[in-house]
Formats: sequence, structure tokens, C-alpha cells
Amino acid sequence: MGSLDGKVACITGGTRGIGLAVAKAFLDEGAKVVINGRDPVKAQKTLDELNAGANVFFIAGDVMKREDCEAIVNGTVAHFGRIDILVPNAGGGGDPGPVAEMTDEAMEVPMIWNFWHTFWTIRAALKHMIPQGYGRIMAMSSVEGKMGKPMVSGYVVSKHAINGLVKSVAHEVGTLGITVNALCPGAIETDVMMAQGPGAAEAMGLTYEGLLDLFAQQSAIKRINESEDVALVAVLLASDAGAGITGSLISIDGGTSPY
Amino acid sequence: MGKLEGKIACITGGTRSIGRAMAEAFLAEGATVVVNGRDAAKGAVALAEMGGGPNIAFYAGDSSKQSVVEGLIDFTIEKFGRLDICCLNSGGVNMTAPVAQMSDEEWNLEIDWNLNHVFWGMRRSLQHMIPRQSGRIIVTSSVEGKLGKPGIPGYVATKHAVNGLVKSAAQEVGTLGITVNAILPGIIETDIVRNTGPDSAVAMGLGTYENLIAAFSSEAATKKPNRVEEVAAVAVMMASDAARNITGCLFPVDGGTLPY
Repeated sequence: MGSLDGKVACITGGTRGIGLAVAKAFLDEGAKVVINGRDPVKAQKTLDELNAGANVFFIAGDVMKREDCEAIVNGTVAHFGRIDILVPNAGGGGDPGPVAEMTDEAMEVPMIWNFWHTFWTIRAALKHMIPQGYGRIMAMSSVEGKMGKPMVSGYVVSKHAINGLVKSVAHEVGTLGITVNALCPGAIETDVMMAQGPGAAEAMGLTYEGLLDLFAQQSAIKRINESEDVALVAVLLASDAGAGITGSLISIDGGTSPY
Repeated sequence: MGKLEGKIACITGGTRSIGRAMAEAFLAEGATVVVNGRDAAKGAVALAEMGGGPNIAFYAGDSSKQSVVEGLIDFTIEKFGRLDICCLNSGGVNMTAPVAQMSDEEWNLEIDWNLNHVFWGMRRSLQHMIPRQSGRIIVTSSVEGKLGKPGIPGYVATKHAVNGLVKSAAQEVGTLGITVNAILPGIIETDIVRNTGPDSAVAMGLGTYENLIAAFSSEAATKKPNRVEEVAAVAVMMASDAARNITGCLFPVDGGTLPY
């Protein structure tokens, strides 16, 4: 008997990194889970690894496109009959660099990838959750949704925007059985971090290892976080006990954020 | 297999309300729990209601007293061999008043009960946990640890203070296998709120207990009070081994009241 028996969850991203850890934790608690990614070949590896049979379903799509975001949410309802839990999880940064020299695209990419995708999927999910009078939304924010670092302003801005969206929506649907929270992890060495971290580090005048160490040194635990840390909190918020927790920006950062 | 199998916990103020919900949730996850309260009779009832048994004990005493807080921790270690999880949970007000009318007696009580009790408990626990390189400290703070309301200045000041204490201590022991976190509940209709709420409502200019509950609820997105079980679930998560990387966190359980 899991704490999420019978619940249907939709996770953008989800073939790797934090999304995969959340998917595993939800499956362990008895939920049915949709995961998403751009590449069906990569996804097949994940599905094989999860080995969860009919309880997991993959929907291909690029979250930087509105129609794909809506198709992921609506596809969840089409496949499993409903959507109880939404985790807009996919995301990453744009080309790093100082604001004074930044291209429009360097700001647009993280805003679309992180913020607009979160907005599109939340809006689509609420159309199902409001009539059913139940829902749990956990947007993937970041410690950078509360703080700031030089050279990664697009990431910082888009994660701050997610936190604002979460607070507004939480108040709009607070009496309708729907909770909306943001998860704010510290640095985690996901595939996206490994792909983008070296460039961001270089823009900051650091090595990749130096960047990870900077994050670690800002925390109380002096090490970076792990995807499972985020999954732990996601399960809690998705459970019945999460009914009274909404509009919160939960720090999962080893004591980094000041609030 | 529970998430807290074999863990030893103590909870200040655990016979009723939030602390009691924590005790029940910890027991359900396999922990051994010592609860505390002023009233030995209430303690006996609480133990009986939780099924008695070798995994639960009661330590009588007023948690606004240093000897009691330290005594609870020492008792737990002596009786069960060690302390893994320390919940510094009790607190409240007696006869609150606006600053201009606040008595020294009430102010000192709130400082002792809400702030000093947490400090005394944290210090004693850490002295035991640091050599063992393992531990969980969970403080019951409040939304009033980040906000302010008229008429309850001592409560607001002390809850802000414990949030600061949690953040400092978390940094001090962050690499030692010990986490220090706070839970920030919104209004919950606990025994203490029911007992002191009517007087607090007058001090806050709200008139009645019902108005006090409504005023707090109206600030939440959920437009209703929180439940003790919600706080207990967060405490279980923080107490678990899996939460080793979550520390210095001020975790709201407030239906969307806090702005940050």
C-alpha cells in the first residue's frame, strides 16, 4: 500500500536526472506515471530500467513548444484517464554570459524551457484538475529561484518567475483541492548539469569542478544535492498529508538559501 | 519496514496536538519515542492511547524550564541508549498583549518556552549527536516566524528567533551528519490554541476565538486551518535517513500563507 496508490502523475523530462528519480519514487508509492522526453530511443532505455509495465507510459515531446506541453498533459489524461499530479520538471539554461553582452536568445531559451513550459503545462493541467476538485502541482524551481549568480541570469530569472507563478496559482486554486508548490534544489549533477555546467563555469571564470565546489561551499553540508532528495519531498507533497501545503517554495539545498 | 526503524526520538510537548501527531507518526514508522508534558495524568492517558508498549515513554515536566528540557534528553539517552531525533515542539503564549501592555512575566515566559527551550534542547542534543556524527533536530516554528501580527509580539519575536537559531546551527553541523530544520505551520486548532486563543483574540483586537481562526485562515490560499497530521508527515520526512541533504530549511505547512 503506497501513499500514491491510484494516482496518475505526469512528469516533463523524466527520462533522466531529477525527473527520473521522481518517477521512480512515485511508482514505488503506487502511482501511474507518464514520463516525457524528446528522444524515444533514450526513453526506451529508461522504460526498460524502470521495468514498471503498464504503470509507466512515455509521451515524446519538446517542452519548448506549447503544443507539445499541452499534448503531454492531455495525453496523460487520454492514456490513464485523469491527471492528479503534475511535475513540470524539464529545464536548463541558455548560453551563459553577463547581461550587458547577452543576446535575446540567451534569455529566451531558459524563459521558454523553464518558465513558459511550466506555465503551459500548469494551465493545461488545471483544466482537468479544477473540474475534478483535486490536484498536486510541483514545479521544478531551483535555489537560483531564490538567489542569483552572475553569468546565468536567464536561468535565475526563469526560476524566480516560476516561484512567482506558483504563489499566484496557489491562491487561485487554494480552495479547490489543488496544491501548487515549487521545489528548489541546490546543484545536482544531472545530465543537464554535466552538459551545461562547463560552459557556465567558464563564463564565471571557474572550472566545472570549481563550479560544483562553489555550490557545495555555499551549503551547510558542503556537498551538492542528489536527485533522490528532490523525489523525497515530491512524494510528501503529492501525498494526502500534502493537502495543507501550498504556495511554498521548498528549499532542498543542504542549507544554502537564506529563506 | 518503516522509515524510522530503530530510531530513538524525543518530543517536547508530545501528549497532545502537533507533538502527539509526530509521536504517532514516528511510532508508525518504527521509531521509539519519548513524549513530554507538564501533566503526568495526561501523559499516562497519551501513553495508553498510543498503545503503551516498550517503544514509548513519558517524561513529565514543563518545557519552559531548562532542567526539564535537558532532563528529557538525558532521560531518553539513559533509557534507550541514544538520541537520533530531537523534536523541539512545545510552545505558545499564556496571556499575550500588545507591546505597550506586555508584562515582563509573560514576555519572559514566552522567551523561555518558545526560544530558550529550543536552544537548551538543541545544545544538549548536539553535544550527544556531534560525537556520533548523526542526528536530526526538528523545531516547530510557525508562520509567525516569518510574519508579524499585532497583539502577539512575544510569539512573533521568539518564532523569528528560533528560525535564526535553526539556520545558524544547520551551518555549524552541516558536515557532521546532523540536520537542523524548522517546520512553520499555519494556524492549527491545537489544545493550546483552544485554551489561550480567546484571550489572544482580544489582545489582537479580533474579539473572539472564531474571529482569530478566521483571520489566520483568510490569509491562507486554502482558507482553512492546517492539520497536525500535515506537520507530522513533514517531520517524518525530515527525520528519515533519506533527508540527509535537507537542512537549514524553514518548511512551511501553512496552506499558502507565507510569501517566502
